[in-house]
Amino acid sequence: MNMETAELKKQLKQQIVQFLNLTSVNPDDIKDDEPLFGEGLGLDSIDSIELIVLLSREYGIEIKDPKEGRKILVDINTMAAYVEQHRTK
Amino acid sequence: MVYIHQAYCISPQKTFQDVDLELLHEPVDKKLYAIEPSYEGIPPGVLRRMGRAVRMGAGAGMPILKNSPVDGIIIGTGKGGMEDCIKFLNQIVQYEEGLLAPGNFVQSTSNAVAAQLGMMSRNKSYNSTHVHRGHAFENAVTDAIMQLRALPGKQFLLGGVDEISDFDYNIETLDGSYKKEVIAASDFYTSDTPGSLAGEGAAMFLVNDQQPGALAGISAVGMLHSEDPAAVTAAFQQFISTHIRGNQKIDLFLSGESGDNRTLKFYAACESILPADIPVARFKHMSGVYATASSFALWMACHILQHGRLPVHTLKTVVEVSSLKTILLYNNYKGLQHSFMLIQK
Repeated sequence: MNMETAELKKQLKQQIVQFLNLTSVNPDDIKDDEPLFGEGLGLDSIDSIELIVLLSREYGIEIKDPKEGRKILVDINTMAAYVEQHRTK
Repeated sequence: MVYIHQAYCISPQKTFQDVDLELLHEPVDKKLYAIEPSYEGIPPGVLRRMGRAVRMGAGAGMPILKNSPVDGIIIGTGKGGMEDCIKFLNQIVQYEEGLLAPGNFVQSTSNAVAAQLGMMSRNKSYNSTHVHRGHAFENAVTDAIMQLRALPGKQFLLGGVDEISDFDYNIETLDGSYKKEVIAASDFYTSDTPGSLAGEGAAMFLVNDQQPGALAGISAVGMLHSEDPAAVTAAFQQFISTHIRGNQKIDLFLSGESGDNRTLKFYAACESILPADIPVARFKHMSGVYATASSFALWMACHILQHGRLPVHTLKTVVEVSSLKTILLYNNYKGLQHSFMLIQK
């Protein structure tokens, strides 16, 4: 993992904690392959919309197909990979 | 008569756990912020998304719903989740009506408190929110009274909730609602200046039409819109003559006096028609001013009737108070919305 990817993952963890108000979660404690939904962080369907808004605002990524969202918002690894490829800002 | 069987209150005072009304908590930055509990029993995943109004409402209501199935949830709120409402509106401007995060919107609606209580307790029955500013809670009480007349034997969760939001505080400061100077709780009624202190809180009650075991009962509620002290006095007199019968005695006049010298005339007018020996107690130095502060007053009335005593700092004049069975509440919101409530043991 190069420095840029590591930095992006760190940034995504901080943004998720801040955006979703996960006050009891330390961003550094989120594992790169920890599931965001269900087990792991335990996020739900409203959180998935919040994360789609996050990607739009912070990285200029528009996700219009919910099926696409499900593949992207699996864990930090999948989010970071998608952001690296599709970010417009 | 509507009987109150359980009462919970989250307020700027120690009213929720280990209740202690003798210890007076002071305002911070001219605001009386609620002392929020740890909200045990509310899942962290749900709690993190709640705004203050929803959090306080759910926190005060869930202890009742956890143990008592209800046939409906009736809430009064003057402004609902104002802080989230402003965040959501700011989003619309900031992101040019583009993609918006839903959380703030969900929490901002006035009926979010009743909805959240319904969802958390899986209660799919009557769910109603009254939003008549300073009469919001009184309308919720009226709703409960009407429901129980129509549906004898049922029981309801009745509550009032409002929060302090920075944006709303600034707007209301500009319209003169709050004091310009910093005052201590002890100077609340003696400052002789315009404005009051902002407050917030949530009070929730389990109500039904069954007297046995009740903490207290609401035997009447009245409301009036007026800027005229003479009209208020006439309505107050009418309320008393209609609902205080025969040799029934008022043991305590609970006044919503707010420390605002512009609205003192209403309280003075109401006090003037009561016999001089009726003790007068006040509560807004404890709750602060908010649209549903009368729900705090009702909680306090229940507490007084249950324990047969009241804190000395609430008494307008130091008198011996004995045999507390009937409390008459008069409240006033912004010198325009007046309400009367008769609470009895």
